[in-house]
Amino acid sequence: MATLNRRQLLAAGAALGVAGTSFSLPVLAQSGRKSVTLALPRDVQPPFDPLNRLSFPEGNLLRVVLQGLIAFKPGSFEWELSAAKRIEQVSDTVIEFELKPGLRFHGGFGELTADDVKFSFERAIKPGADGKPVLYSTDFAALEEVEVTGTHSGRIRLKTPAPALWQVALPDISGLIISRKAYEAGAYRADQPTKVIGTGPYLLKEWRPNERVVLQANPEFQGPKPGFEEIILRPVRDSKTAELAFRADELQFTAIEPANAADIAKIPGAKILKQDSINFVWIGVNVEKPPFNDPRVRRAIRLAIDVDQVIEGAYNGAVGRAYGPVAPGLLGNWKDAPRHARDVAAAKKLLAEAGVPALRAKLTLLNKPAYQNAGIIVQAQLAEAGITLDLDVQEGGSFWSAGNGEAGKNLELSLQRFGGKADPSFQLQWFTASQIGSWNWQRWNSPEYDALFAKAGGVTDPAERARLYIEAQKLIDESAAFIWLTHEVNVYALKDWLTPGILPNGDDQLYNRFSPA
Amino acid sequence: MRLLRRIGSRLATTALVLVGAVALVFALTLVIPGNPAQALLGPRATPEAVQAFSHAMGLDRPVAERFALFLWNVLRGDLGNDVVSGRPIVTMVAEVLPYTVSLTLSAIGLAILFGVPLGCYAATHPGSLIDRVAAAVSIGFIAIPNFVVAILLLMIFSVWLDWFPVLGVSRSGTLGDQLARLALPALSLALGWIGYIARLLRASLLDVLGEAHIRTLRAYGVAERVIVYKYALKPAAIPTVAVLGLGVGRLLGGAIFAEIVFARPGIGTLVYDAIASRNYPVVQACVLVVVGLFTLTNLLVDLSYAWLDPRIAKAEER
Repeated sequence: MATLNRRQLLAAGAALGVAGTSFSLPVLAQSGRKSVTLALPRDVQPPFDPLNRLSFPEGNLLRVVLQGLIAFKPGSFEWELSAAKRIEQVSDTVIEFELKPGLRFHGGFGELTADDVKFSFERAIKPGADGKPVLYSTDFAALEEVEVTGTHSGRIRLKTPAPALWQVALPDISGLIISRKAYEAGAYRADQPTKVIGTGPYLLKEWRPNERVVLQANPEFQGPKPGFEEIILRPVRDSKTAELAFRADELQFTAIEPANAADIAKIPGAKILKQDSINFVWIGVNVEKPPFNDPRVRRAIRLAIDVDQVIEGAYNGAVGRAYGPVAPGLLGNWKDAPRHARDVAAAKKLLAEAGVPALRAKLTLLNKPAYQNAGIIVQAQLAEAGITLDLDVQEGGSFWSAGNGEAGKNLELSLQRFGGKADPSFQLQWFTASQIGSWNWQRWNSPEYDALFAKAGGVTDPAERARLYIEAQKLIDESAAFIWLTHEVNVYALKDWLTPGILPNGDDQLYNRFSPA
Repeated sequence: MRLLRRIGSRLATTALVLVGAVALVFALTLVIPGNPAQALLGPRATPEAVQAFSHAMGLDRPVAERFALFLWNVLRGDLGNDVVSGRPIVTMVAEVLPYTVSLTLSAIGLAILFGVPLGCYAATHPGSLIDRVAAAVSIGFIAIPNFVVAILLLMIFSVWLDWFPVLGVSRSGTLGDQLARLALPALSLALGWIGYIARLLRASLLDVLGEAHIRTLRAYGVAERVIVYKYALKPAAIPTVAVLGLGVGRLLGGAIFAEIVFARPGIGTLVYDAIASRNYPVVQACVLVVVGLFTLTNLLVDLSYAWLDPRIAKAEER
């Protein structure tokens, strides 16, 4: 048997360390301002399919590889023409479109035609090969069919009027057009993740799991030239690491904690972008569970909470206060919503009238620092009104199940945060009776609200829609089951030579609109 | 023949450990609160979608059936498909495993490279200034949590001095760049182990240096350096090697934080994401791989004892 002496043993140990490095893989060089590196909060997950995407990181990638008939403009929820040369609502249930001629899918999959539009949209209302509906089928719930009237023209026929289609589907991810030929050849599927065939400004050049995504400018793209030849997306889960990488110029754009903005702004060549969000954070009260089924108890809780103080403490004053689920600037925002002020004496009086002068309640919340701080402040405020509040802090997996099914009946107070979209129907859908047991954790049941919500969904006149949604929010306010806290704020650190392309909710980003300033 | 018997016996124990670990992980996923399908699909999920996803994940099957099926598939080398992407988990693990292995081996390599000479010096110069300083520094490195060390290393060497990059793996592909990107993650994992190995080796070396055969060597006038490195180090290394075997497991676990902080791909980030999204098949597969690597390392360590000290082999033969 061969022997190994101590020197060989030590050498082997050292060699193992060095040899280990040989597993690292070669990657692409970044050069000058032709390339930019942006942070992702997590890695993207296939399938890269607009109607079966997981969430916004995948959606943002698809936005620039594919094209929709229309697309959002940066910084707003207004849309502009993309693959469509013309698009028009000709009646409440018919939308006519005409495509720009000569838009070509890369990889030799031919020209984008009206048949591709039909295939892309109708996938949402037809079960797939496996018999299952696509994940985002509700975005096209009103669709009846897409009628092809020519190579480049067609009609979108709806079962019922659906104004939300212009915000939730057509300019957004679900409205992106894929190639029928490419789909039938196996594209957009998880087993071939980088085979994403589109006509958009970028090509998905490379995806190395948990390492990076590389987008390369599409030479065949027939639109405004994107700002960079190459965009590299790096998943960085830890926000502190992202900040350090930004300081070291390895990232040129990243979301940061609002509390660190002032410090990062001092870095030479850095700037801070602060953007009000349209997400919504609130404390909900379960109206089914005694004693919270008594409106006086709910009003007492609302009176005992000083929302301004909560957001000052939890967010360091970096965010504004919300007065409803629909953020300012969106259709249906209730500008004149009541500004409920704190009144501890009135709260105590209501509790006494309700026969619960010494109330004990439980607040269920997510284990995020801002929410935990908010919980602690609310706990102290309610104590002054004679309410003992227990905090039940949970991690994501258990928290997002807390209000579902039978478990939801035992929920008392919950601090929730939902993401917002351009159309108010998205924000308000969660409070209908059909959502009890799913996402209506307040278990609030108002047939009047449901009727208003349903009616507004089919109204095409924006002013009338807005009026109906505001009426619906008045009912929400009357219930006293919702204590609105904030719409949050998105804070980004970026290089001073960079202009970003971000939609108002912050999560949705237009990589093709990132450009050297 | 005896060697084969010993290997066979150890392999059987290893297999039992693996089955036990898989059973434990499987049981843990049952008691964690929260519906994995709901957690995966998020706020927009309809009850129908949640139900369909639960079915796809096999959550509607009896527990015993799920466990038996999982074990059978593992034996066939099939770790199943990721419920999010539908990709084969074997592929996903194979993509990132080299990064974790390289990081772990580099950390172990650094720990040996610095820990062994430091331990030898401290043992041959007990009470000296270097010995005392090394003791204090070693205990300091052992005590400070790895993630704190990682952030400090990044602040000092990446942001202030600009010597090393912050993020992940190599961008240019040159060997130098790869090493530069590996240096800080490996060092952050290794620092505690350098101190640990140095203290452990110092103690066991001092014991061996007090033994009768060493006194005999000294009486014959053999040089002290030769005594230490040729005759004392090998038997003194046994406790260190045993600890290093366990250390591989600890480092594989510790790699999770290093991969998160340094934004590196690896088993750590894969399992971190899978836990956050209750993606049980991926969690189970990752744990299985880590346990497999850990038990394999310990098997090798176990077998190495006989080579390091023939008395152990002889004792086993009796």
